[in-house]
Amino acid sequence: MAALIPNVISMQSEFIQATLETLYMTFFSAIISAILGLLFGILLVVTQPKGILEDALTYSVLDKVVNLLRSIPFIILLAVISPLTQFLIGTTVGTTASLVPLVFGIFPFYARQVQNALLDVDHGVVEAAQSMGSSPSEIIFRVYLREGLPDIIRVSIVTVISLIGLTTMAGAIGSGGLGDIAISIGYARFENDVTFVAMIIILILVFAVQLIGDWIVKKVEHY
Amino acid sequence: MTEQNIIDLKNITVTFKNGATPVKAVDNVSLAIPRGDIYGIIGYSGAGKSTLVRVINLLQPPTSGTITVNGQNLQQLPPKALRQARKKVGMIFQHFNLMKSRTVLGNVEYPLLSQKITAAERKQKAQKLLALVGLAEYAATYPSQLSGGQKQRVAIARALANDPEVLISDEATSALDPKTTKAILELLEKLHETLDLTIVLITHEMQVIKTICHNVAVMDAGKIIERGRVASVFTDPQQPLTTDFVETSTNVKAAIERITATVKVDELAADQELIYFNFIGNSAKQSIISDLAQQYKIDVNILFANIDQIDGENVGYMIAIITGDLAGFDQAITKLKDNGVKARRLSQPKGAD
Repeated sequence: MAALIPNVISMQSEFIQATLETLYMTFFSAIISAILGLLFGILLVVTQPKGILEDALTYSVLDKVVNLLRSIPFIILLAVISPLTQFLIGTTVGTTASLVPLVFGIFPFYARQVQNALLDVDHGVVEAAQSMGSSPSEIIFRVYLREGLPDIIRVSIVTVISLIGLTTMAGAIGSGGLGDIAISIGYARFENDVTFVAMIIILILVFAVQLIGDWIVKKVEHY
Repeated sequence: MTEQNIIDLKNITVTFKNGATPVKAVDNVSLAIPRGDIYGIIGYSGAGKSTLVRVINLLQPPTSGTITVNGQNLQQLPPKALRQARKKVGMIFQHFNLMKSRTVLGNVEYPLLSQKITAAERKQKAQKLLALVGLAEYAATYPSQLSGGQKQRVAIARALANDPEVLISDEATSALDPKTTKAILELLEKLHETLDLTIVLITHEMQVIKTICHNVAVMDAGKIIERGRVASVFTDPQQPLTTDFVETSTNVKAAIERITATVKVDELAADQELIYFNFIGNSAKQSIISDLAQQYKIDVNILFANIDQIDGENVGYMIAIITGDLAGFDQAITKLKDNGVKARRLSQPKGAD
């Protein structure tokens, strides 16, 4: 073992630290992005033309905001967003500071995915609910979110996996984490085993997310 | 609560903006549906019938016109009151529109979720409705495991959960096979009787209208072109489209096509003609053929005949080749017309040849 991954053996505590940082960034930015993404996704669906709360202005504004944010490359977003990060967190470097660009990098993507998942809910079912006198909020919670749940979970898995990818880039603003170890130690010092092990840990995280997600989908889907 | 018409649509027009050209899906239609009726609206797809029934519960707001349901003008109601009013108008659909994330019982419970009743009361009511449609033992299954007919039964139970006074059926049997269609129609008829429901039913199948409707309106290009008691519309259609529906449902249309394809009309002798007879009411029982033979010396060779009962009236159809005194036949027909017999030449009258 020591012959295969000599540098990793001597860096065990750093690896544990980095893994925890990656989990921390992923978890908290996922929670915040989930709230924002669901909110935007739902609003996009209900305010769209022929939606249950049709509102052309709101739809058009949200649609453009999502498109705009999705167009900014993440590595540039990390830098561009620093004044907002400074305002919200009080610093622009470190693990917690990276949550701001991570959220802005991922929630528009998630919003679009949620929107597509909800658009797949049969319009006939929504119409049936309207014919039964359901209010817009009842339709959102009891029809859209419930009928769309398996798809929402599926897009959440995809999003979390993308998010894990983004956390590795946040090393550029000193966030720490597995990506940071892989590049600033493994790559920079030609310690290839460090890069390799960091990648393996990330793959394990990704597979775990996929497995847990698939298991939940199986539990909630009935067709 | 004693208005005679539970639904009263006045001068309804619905215009859709389809690109630059606005399309009138419903064109100045007025429709009054008496309480307790089973009212059929028939038309081919695109006739505007689905749009028209969606106006009844304001799922489709009309461009102009007024909607009165149960004495309430729906357009004047605030959103909350409109939702309450909608609960009294149940609706079932061609594709059932059940929620696949809920069990059969869960689907029937759905409309009751917004009522202030306990979970136990809700479950009890839903189970009672499932028993009513004959699906009590399917409560725990998911819709994906049911057949089309069973899904429609669940949808009917769900539509009845709010104790509606009106049930709108939007092509509810169009995705079902004939046997299942019959069973669903029987169920609707039973519910109509036991629950005092007014049913508004749209379809493109005359068979459906014939089976359970009392009144019918025929729609074409956004307008109602003919309406009345099913028996009178069926036996005496005024519009070509209505005739078309009637002849399709009685197999007469297929018979005419088959016969005109096999009998070479120009091979008929000079004293022969291909005639389509239509009998209504008691005339179906009269001895028309022997009358023609004895009084007018005309032989009748029957190629197709069918007798149907619509709303208690006999309606007969016959296609025959007549041979003999054709001038006398014209005389006979004018006389028979008074007795409810109509005749139409399928062969061209022989001219100067």
